[in-house]
Amino acid sequence: MPYHTFKCSKCIPERTKHAVIKGHGEDLTSCLPLGYLNTIPGSISERGCAFCGAKHVIGTPMKDVIHLCHGPVGCTYDTWQTKRYISDNDNFQFKYTFATDMKEKHIVFGSEKLLKESITEAFKAFPEINRMAIYQTCASALIGDDMDAVAQEVMNEMPDVDIFVCNSPGFAGPSQSGGHHKINIAWVNQKVGTVEPKITSDYVINYVGEYNIQGDQEVMTDYFKRMGIQVLSTFTGNGSYDDLRSMHKADLNVLECARSAEYICNELRERYGTPRMDIDGFGFKPLSESLLKVGLFFGLEEKAQKIIDEETARWKPELDWYARRLKGVKVCLWPGGSKLWHWANVIHEEMGVEVVSLYTKFGHQGDMEKGIARCGEGALAIDDPNELEGIEAMMELQPDVIFTGVRPGEVAKKLRVQYLNAHAYHNGPYKGYEGWVRFARDIYNAVYSPIHQLSGFDISKDEIDMDNGFVTKNIISDAEIDREASIANNEREYTGKYDCVTHLREKTY
Amino acid sequence: MKKKERSGIINPIFTCQPAGAQYVSIGVEDCIGIVHGGQGCVMFVRLLFAQHFKENFLLASSSLHEDTAVLGATHRIEEAVDVLLMRYPEVKVVPIISTCSTEIIGDDVEGVIRKLENGLLKDKYADREVHLISISTPSFKGSMVSGYDIAVRDFVREFATKKEPNEKINLITGWVNPGDVTALKHLLNEMDVDANVLFETESFDSPLMPNGDAVSYGGTTIKDLESTGDAIGTLVLNRYEGKLAADFLETEFEIPSIIGPTPIGIRNTDAFLNNLKKMTGKPIPESLVRERGVAIDALTDLVHMFFADKKVAIFGNPDLVIGLAEFCIDLEMKPVLLLLGDDNVNYSKDPRIKEFEEKVEFDMEIIENADLWDLEERIKNGDVELDLIIGHSKGRFISIDNDIPMLRVGFPVYDRAGYYRHPIVGYSGATWLAEEMANVLFTDMEYKKNKEWILNVW
Repeated sequence: MPYHTFKCSKCIPERTKHAVIKGHGEDLTSCLPLGYLNTIPGSISERGCAFCGAKHVIGTPMKDVIHLCHGPVGCTYDTWQTKRYISDNDNFQFKYTFATDMKEKHIVFGSEKLLKESITEAFKAFPEINRMAIYQTCASALIGDDMDAVAQEVMNEMPDVDIFVCNSPGFAGPSQSGGHHKINIAWVNQKVGTVEPKITSDYVINYVGEYNIQGDQEVMTDYFKRMGIQVLSTFTGNGSYDDLRSMHKADLNVLECARSAEYICNELRERYGTPRMDIDGFGFKPLSESLLKVGLFFGLEEKAQKIIDEETARWKPELDWYARRLKGVKVCLWPGGSKLWHWANVIHEEMGVEVVSLYTKFGHQGDMEKGIARCGEGALAIDDPNELEGIEAMMELQPDVIFTGVRPGEVAKKLRVQYLNAHAYHNGPYKGYEGWVRFARDIYNAVYSPIHQLSGFDISKDEIDMDNGFVTKNIISDAEIDREASIANNEREYTGKYDCVTHLREKTY
Repeated sequence: MKKKERSGIINPIFTCQPAGAQYVSIGVEDCIGIVHGGQGCVMFVRLLFAQHFKENFLLASSSLHEDTAVLGATHRIEEAVDVLLMRYPEVKVVPIISTCSTEIIGDDVEGVIRKLENGLLKDKYADREVHLISISTPSFKGSMVSGYDIAVRDFVREFATKKEPNEKINLITGWVNPGDVTALKHLLNEMDVDANVLFETESFDSPLMPNGDAVSYGGTTIKDLESTGDAIGTLVLNRYEGKLAADFLETEFEIPSIIGPTPIGIRNTDAFLNNLKKMTGKPIPESLVRERGVAIDALTDLVHMFFADKKVAIFGNPDLVIGLAEFCIDLEMKPVLLLLGDDNVNYSKDPRIKEFEEKVEFDMEIIENADLWDLEERIKNGDVELDLIIGHSKGRFISIDNDIPMLRVGFPVYDRAGYYRHPIVGYSGATWLAEEMANVLFTDMEYKKNKEWILNVW
């Protein structure tokens, strides 16, 4: 597998081992790109910091918690309202954000008093919330405030409240991944085992590494509940603070995003003997296998199979409609971490798209290993890509669509490459059977957009089309499709609603 | 004028200083700023810009990691400058923007710039024009507003030179949108005034071209910045977003300056034109009398029918909030609550605030160092009853959860499409603001079925 040298990065030799092209029959493990190394300054990498990895990615999805940052106001402001982790308590966790707003005098004289005041004020403002997470930032780490001591002092004075302390300043590691690790370990050290839960089922799991992006967690939890399983806690999307304190009492840790949350599963296995089971909610086959696996663990295979059969019957014809039309569509799979390998193979298998490139901003070598193993030959794999490399890759590979974040999506737009939000989704959720159809539908809508077709048209040179008052997506997508076969196969377009999650909250089991 | 009564912040109005410096940096052509700090300080600010403008802007990080946070990180600046210059051959200007972390560890940015100028730039980039500028914006001082002010001054200080008088005026727009720059340029054009519009955001609204080669960048060039020293005067629209630069030009090159008013509303736009007239001797032309008339015509249809006595809360950048409040009063509305989101000590001395205190006959609360909880708490407690909120998107849930209509104005606006394209300054801005306020109120009437039938015959 030859390393790929970007023209734009020839001048920085440190980059040469960060990109590879998967060659024919090559041994994957012997030639992986380097991963999770320090970022090259000035390279315009897409990475974030360890503070956001802890607070923004893992901490804040906890729903019944005051999330307070100890530092200048920017860390709080900047990470506020930039994600779509919803909750069933009216989204308290992203409506309200809290900061100590550290100023120069606090830098000089210390800010533990300020922290304490901010904590008590926040509890006073929201008397119905008595759980809090406080997050260290670069500034509070460097001046050396003892946040643990302040938290303990408040807890001693206010017996009803509980406070979690996360010491993960922005500089703690090459990327957000450092923060994932720190908050995992901090939670298991400080909080697990401090609440004894009510057990209501013989089958009890923690659902780990799941952030309820656009309702993913609620969709997946519905399946578990239909199987008779008690989901004791979710780490952390739509998760409840006190539920997460009782993680030690589950029979099984069901792990979704291993990149961000395998640490806590491994700790729980070591400390409490709870086994870890890696599952995958994306795609019909991986999801069905996952439900069966969980079913097998508890002896609930029949219940799992029933769900699989029902859901497949309901949604497969819709997935097939899109898959027929997405065959051969070229994709750059450029997410943050674990979707790299969650999606690499299954979008090819189930939707027929070709993954021409994959990258990871903060993944480790293990993520790349899994991703490269699952993608097709010829794919370009990039670790910690930077702006110029992304552009060069898109110019060379000419993908039809790129799955990435909001800002890189704007880069792609200018190059006339359609973009789907891989982190927060376009119109998700994307997990679950229906969710997977929604993902296929979103890709289809992007790729066959009439406006996208018009964007490549140069009115000063090209002959202007005077025959069509409009063009539908179907006209574009079905130009070379066997429509008869599609109809004979009972395929159909997506029939679900705009909001497919909220109704689940009313459901009884 | 009051201060927030809490120590901490619940739902901030502003982000920190480096974001303001980054906003100035993207307004300059062939310029990529290096933010000296953790990667999040850049990554999230770029995201914020992308959310607001739906465009991508280039900013780099020195990528502070654990070792460098402890042992000092100036070598990360050296490496960042070299990597950036190697890979972006068009780049000529590199501001080094400090953050809280690198200010605390005490990195000597000016020292490292001198070292680079005498070393790397001479050895490796001898044939290339490169300017490194130290911009000190510790996050624990001021806010994104003061960061903007500081960076504008530092860019001007770096480049301004006195050669030949150029008969131009310097126009420092402050933190405005592309639509505002277009509106300002239009007014300048009508007045036949040759202006050097600085940190120019008009080109932020860039096209998607058939050949895929478009990018968004700021329109201010090195030449523009150099020629600030030759201008006949400096006009600063926003007192807190450009005054430092005007003061510098006045002290250093004896260039007279006029600060404000922010040309929001009819009266302030009149004053802006009058300032242009004073500075250049050019008369206000008939075309603008007419344009003003079109705006007045539109406002007349709305004011006493729909706006009179409506209570408004406004939050955001101080000059914006003050300008909007002044305009609201002219529209017969009552801006009862103004929230200024940082602890700038000069707010209490601001003549416009004093004017509010002296002349407004209804209860008007002005809170400095405010956060959005100052607004929401008053609503929830019933301390204030509002008909309209004006502010940026970070306050959207106050509007949604309390059923109060809100017009999105300021930065960032990411929950409404295309707002950066519309001006709020000048006569066209006054019209847009008033009509959008009306449309927001109309939609709310319909949504709540609150005398929605009134609109049958308006």
